[in-house]
Amino acid sequence: MSQVDYPRQVKELILHLKKLPGIGPRGAERIAIWLLQQDGGVAQSFAATVEKARGEVWECGVCGFFSTEQGCPICDGSGRDETVLCVVEQPTDILPLERSGAFRGHYHALRGKISPLDNVGPDDLRIGELMDRLKKGAFEEVILALGADVEGEATSNYLVEVLENEGLKITRLAMGIPVGGGLESADELTLFRAVQGRTALGRGGS
Amino acid sequence: MSALLTSLKLNQFRCFTALRLELGEGISLFVGDNAQGKTSILEAVCVLLRLQSPRASALGETVQFGQREFAVAGDYGDSELRLQFTSSGRRLSVDGETQKRSGDYLRASGLVVWMGNDDLALIRGGGEGRRRYLDFMAGQLFPGYRTALKAYERALRSRNFLLKRDKTPAWPQIDAYTKLLYEHGAVLTARRRELIERLQPYAVEAQCQISGREDEAVALEYRCGSDSSEALHTETGYDLAAVLWERREEELRRRQTVAGPHRDDLLLSLNGMPTAKFASEGQQRTQALALKLAQSRLFLAMKERAPVLLIDDIFGELDPQRRNALMQAWPEESQKLITTTHLDWLDPEWGRAATVYEVRMGKVAKP
Repeated sequence: MSQVDYPRQVKELILHLKKLPGIGPRGAERIAIWLLQQDGGVAQSFAATVEKARGEVWECGVCGFFSTEQGCPICDGSGRDETVLCVVEQPTDILPLERSGAFRGHYHALRGKISPLDNVGPDDLRIGELMDRLKKGAFEEVILALGADVEGEATSNYLVEVLENEGLKITRLAMGIPVGGGLESADELTLFRAVQGRTALGRGGS
Repeated sequence: MSALLTSLKLNQFRCFTALRLELGEGISLFVGDNAQGKTSILEAVCVLLRLQSPRASALGETVQFGQREFAVAGDYGDSELRLQFTSSGRRLSVDGETQKRSGDYLRASGLVVWMGNDDLALIRGGGEGRRRYLDFMAGQLFPGYRTALKAYERALRSRNFLLKRDKTPAWPQIDAYTKLLYEHGAVLTARRRELIERLQPYAVEAQCQISGREDEAVALEYRCGSDSSEALHTETGYDLAAVLWERREEELRRRQTVAGPHRDDLLLSLNGMPTAKFASEGQQRTQALALKLAQSRLFLAMKERAPVLLIDDIFGELDPQRRNALMQAWPEESQKLITTTHLDWLDPEWGRAATVYEVRMGKVAKP
């Protein structure tokens, strides 16, 4: 007697689900079975939603954010400061900055960071597009808002180097202690940078 | 104040499928033939308390043969420490609470000094062993050191990879890493220098205690592995970015990063002459031991906490004079875990204060 396993269709579904980020073999199996056991067209509507989203949302060719038939909410939006461009790693990094309300300029998502050990170089990122935008646009300042890990920092350093002769002001996000946190929760390097980048208060000594 | 490691639990660690040990203060002696698992017990203590092994470059190497996961746990002072290693990463917890940052875990943990019979390589071997000695110490004394070291090593790997990869190196990319080497390297160099300065008096004292002579003047000096023009050297070391710029041709030829903390060294001398070249074998052994003893004294002074001493297999090798000197000079408050193949050297009176464990084929018993 041969060993019984899931039908081929189920195994295929599990295989696809397993490819999703953060989903392991067991999770994939659980989700697949759950989908198959739902009544009332849950699975069909799920599949249709995926298809619709994939078909009607694409990457904005300019900033790298999500764009639809109505256009890109950032590039086509009005009232933005046309002179400041904020460079981020991923399009998902744009939303936290937007929510903070601290920045009202334009964005440029690189779609990653330089990491030679993972075989990602400048040509794999949207750096050429960035250069084009800076040449054509009315930008006066570029804000580098990349991560503070080794790869993020290396990417920042690289961008500083290639942007140096563009006649632009180049800035990076300040680093320091988190709001609402005590000093004891900050690590040494963060504190070091916080002291380096301290800001003056009051009018004494000036 | 001294905290104790009162229990140790291992699962699928090296040759131990499962092991539970109760440990007391003072001296614990692990006795057994070679290849029975004695050293693995000390290694597990080091992994539990410091999250790194003196024998393995990655934690994954300590998994029991044929397995994919291990766990090490124990009670240290008032805290229950636990490290689980799985294929998806490591999980740390203190008193059952998961710790995301190793820094938070290590704060609840203790200090460790490892003494082994390969310590002689500190004197006779290459700079790598001495850098590891400094890094292991600095990582325990200065909270941000490990972070800086990891960032430096990662940037260095990327930079060397880029230097090797292309026929014509992509300098703009390489220089993006040069700046990182400079920034993180500055932390490493400054801390190592500070460390050596603080260590020096303890090393002098330990050398005299072990040799029983007053005229053995030990000197420790930090040497930057850069022979570039003096002008680039500053008081705090050297401007690595400038040095690497000056030696660009050499980097192109050798296809690797030619200067930086990863090439620095600790110069050891005795009476003004390099120990490795001019000292007798006995003096070299004494100095190797003195460096480790100095480490434990420095820990006690700086952290006001006695380190756990993990002493692997050196007691059978040491001559009686050095052995007695070590036992006189080590911090009284320290908990000592010692492995040995035999107890012939054991002074009966002294032995009464020690707890003896027999280690055989991955099992431990109190006789």
